[in-house]
Order: sequence, then C-alpha cells, then structure tokens
Amino acid sequence: MVGIGGEYTPDFVGSKNSKFLPIPIFTIRRAGSIDQFRGPRDSASIALLDVGNFRAGPAFKYVSSRKSDKYSELTGLGNVDTAYELGGFVEYYPVDWLRLRSELRQGFGGHTGTVADVSADVIVPLIQRLTISAGPRFTWKSTNATAPYFGVDATQALASGLPVYDARGGAHSVGFGSQISYRINPQWEVHAYVEYEKLLGDVADSPLVKLRGSSNQTTVGLGASYSFDFRIR
Amino acid sequence: MRRTAFLWIGLAAACVALGAAAAFETRASRIQAIKTVGIVSAIGEEMSLTRAGLTGLGNVAQSASISAWGLDELIVQQVTRLLSGRFRVQPVNYRRAAFAAVRDSAVAPVNLLRGDPFKELVRSDIAPQGLDAYIVITRARSKLGNGRNVEGVGLAEYRTLLADYGLIHALYEVRVIDGKTFDVIEKRAAAPLDNTGTVRIAGPSGPVNETFGGPASGERLRAAIADLITRSLPVTLGDMHLIDGQ
Repeated sequence: MVGIGGEYTPDFVGSKNSKFLPIPIFTIRRAGSIDQFRGPRDSASIALLDVGNFRAGPAFKYVSSRKSDKYSELTGLGNVDTAYELGGFVEYYPVDWLRLRSELRQGFGGHTGTVADVSADVIVPLIQRLTISAGPRFTWKSTNATAPYFGVDATQALASGLPVYDARGGAHSVGFGSQISYRINPQWEVHAYVEYEKLLGDVADSPLVKLRGSSNQTTVGLGASYSFDFRIR
Repeated sequence: MRRTAFLWIGLAAACVALGAAAAFETRASRIQAIKTVGIVSAIGEEMSLTRAGLTGLGNVAQSASISAWGLDELIVQQVTRLLSGRFRVQPVNYRRAAFAAVRDSAVAPVNLLRGDPFKELVRSDIAPQGLDAYIVITRARSKLGNGRNVEGVGLAEYRTLLADYGLIHALYEVRVIDGKTFDVIEKRAAAPLDNTGTVRIAGPSGPVNETFGGPASGERLRAAIADLITRSLPVTLGDMHLIDGQ
C-alpha cells in the first residue's frame, strides 16, 4: 500500500506550536491478504504470531532528531540525535470491534531508554465502507528515554536560561485518539484522525514544557492510500 | 560513505532481480516439462458460519458438514476439464480428510522453517505415484473484519451499525507439487473475483442478497458456492500459467 498524508503536529514533544508535515504511507503485506485496522500511533510492526484475535511480533519506531537551532524554545539545549526504537507488540481483540494493543520498545541512538505504549480502540463500522474508531492511550518512558528531551543540565541551563532540571522516567502521557476511514473501493481509502496527549509527571514539569511549551499535545492528520498486489514470482 | 551505501543497495536490488528472474525461469521450465498430472481437492467437506463486525461477546464461528454437496468432485472435474488441453490428467486416490486436516501454524516463521506440509502427504497418501506433478487444492484463509479469520467455504454475516451484509466465500489455494522430488513448484491462493466489491476478504467471495432459509435453500447456497469456484478456477490456473490466462 502506498499513499500520502499530512499531519499538523507539535514542533517537538512539549512544544506549544505546531507545524504541518507531509507523511508518506507505505505498507507491505502478503499478496492477497487484507490490511488490518491500524492506529495513527502504532509503530511499524509485523505479526509473526497471528491466531485471528491475537497477534504479536516485532515493532519498530523512528524518532526524528531534535535540532536546537530549528526552534527558538530549544536554543542552548543542544541537539538530540535520531532515535531508533526496536521492540515488540501484542494485540488482542476480545470482540471484533475492540482492539487492545501494547508495545514495548528499546531505544538506540538519540535515547537509550525503554518506551511502553498501551492503547484501546473501539472500532465501529458504520457501513461497510465507513469505519470510525476511538479510544484512550497511555505511554510510559524510562529515565533514559525522558532525560535527553526534557532534562536540563548545568551547561544547558547556562546556555538556555532555563533552570537545571533532572527529568526522570515514569508516566509520560495519557491521551485519546479518534480516526475515521472511508474505503472508496478495494484499492483506495481515505482517512483522518486526531490524537490528543496530556503530558504527565516529570515531562509535564520540565521547564521546557512549563515555561516555553505546553503539556497539551494535539495532532491532526489526514491521508489517502492505494493498495495493490505486487508479486515476485 | 553515501556512495558505498548506494552501491550496496544497488547490488542488493540487482541480486533480488536476478534471483527472481532465475526462480521464474526455473519454475516456468519445470511446468513446461510436466506431461502427466493428478488432481487432489480437499476444501469442500465443511462450511463455516461466521459473524463478524459488531458482534457480541462469545461469538464463536460454527461449521456444518457439506460433504453431500460434492464440491471437491466438482473441483476435480473442473480442473480436469481446464487442464486436459495441455496435460494428461490421471485420476488419483487419496485420503481427503488427511489433506483437509493440514493447517498453517499461527507462528509465521514455523511455516517457513518446517517446509510445505503437503509434500509429505503427496508422497505418502496419493496413489498412483510417479506422475510428473500433482495439483493440490486446499483451503485458504483470510481475515474478515478485525480479529477474525475465515477459511475455505463459508457463509458470513458482517454486521455494521447501520446495516448487515451477507457474503459467501470459497477460499482455496492451489499447489503444483513435483511428482518425483515433491518440491512445491508453484503455489497460489485464488484471488478475489472482481474489483467492484467492498467486502474485504482475500479470495473468491460474493454478496448474499437473499436469505438462505426455507425449502431448497441448501441447493441455492450450493449453487452460489459452486459458481464462485467455477468462475475463479480458470483465473487462478491462468495466473499460475497452467492454462492460458482467462
């Protein structure tokens, strides 16, 4: 499946300003198979275990670098490199219209911490072509996944004017997301979504968020995708 | 650094392309060499009855015996007719239940590591041995909605908030197994019949606009399933280059 979308999302996690980002959509699945429900926050994943209502497998997330010279709020805080989060997911459907999903990932590169995402989605087909979904989200991050983005050491404090801050891990955010998708025909689908996150704990208390940003994070996106079979004989 | 990366990516792409071309060449030449075939069909003993979409708790798929419908005999007859122009088709004996009982593992890597389970069955369960190839037709599986698998022949109801939709499906896959080495020369699942429907199921299926109740309902259902099979077989065998594409 290929497609294109756009997302109006905070400049960086904790920012009070937002920007529009084009998002390429690219998914590979077995030829002839049917694509499954996917939430906007889901990491790239492959279901190596699939018994119908329970799926599990590896998951991967790319976290783009945070450059301090791109946004004035980050001046003096230095760059955070691109991070690659590798781990796994489990997904369970107690009934066809309720998905419970959890991911656990370990970061490499920009951060070396652990990230856990838990979400639930009620998936309601209004008619065959039109589906809406919505549900709560929760994210937990370890200290190593939190400190590079929200901690302020003495050098950074001098350069940025923010107070020194020791950001520890814990509950990172709680939120709510909703998505609507319309299948025009078996090939074409359009979708739109909104995801709200309330930053929590040490992340919300970070001077970067408290003094220069916001703990309320909203992302709005839309996209169109085209599915086709490509067989390597 | 970047130039080296591009070089490796280019080399990898070239290897994949050459590998695919070589595999295609090998497969095509192996199919060209086939003269005699036997046909095995094992999809039509049971029909699943499934509810998907907005369903309640404890919604478990049910099944019913349809062995009296003779779908496997119909498939063997149809495939024999379609392949007779190119191959000499010989009748074979086999234990249908043994072929119908084989299931893919839910753990994808296990399927890759253990090899194709039908190879051994063809070697041990089919008589006569020694034909150039065996065409083995068994149930395929698809997702229906979220979190639900359907397979083989079935009648399903997909419930949404504003409407309910009925559909029938006949999901099957075809293997060409070498009669001497028992390697799988070609394998393909039957594709959806057309691109006009919006029911998301990975194989031949069709909407059910009538209720299958009352007298003669079983016969109408059988006729509808048989129609799916009859229309999809030439397409699937054509895709596998066993007959001229339809």
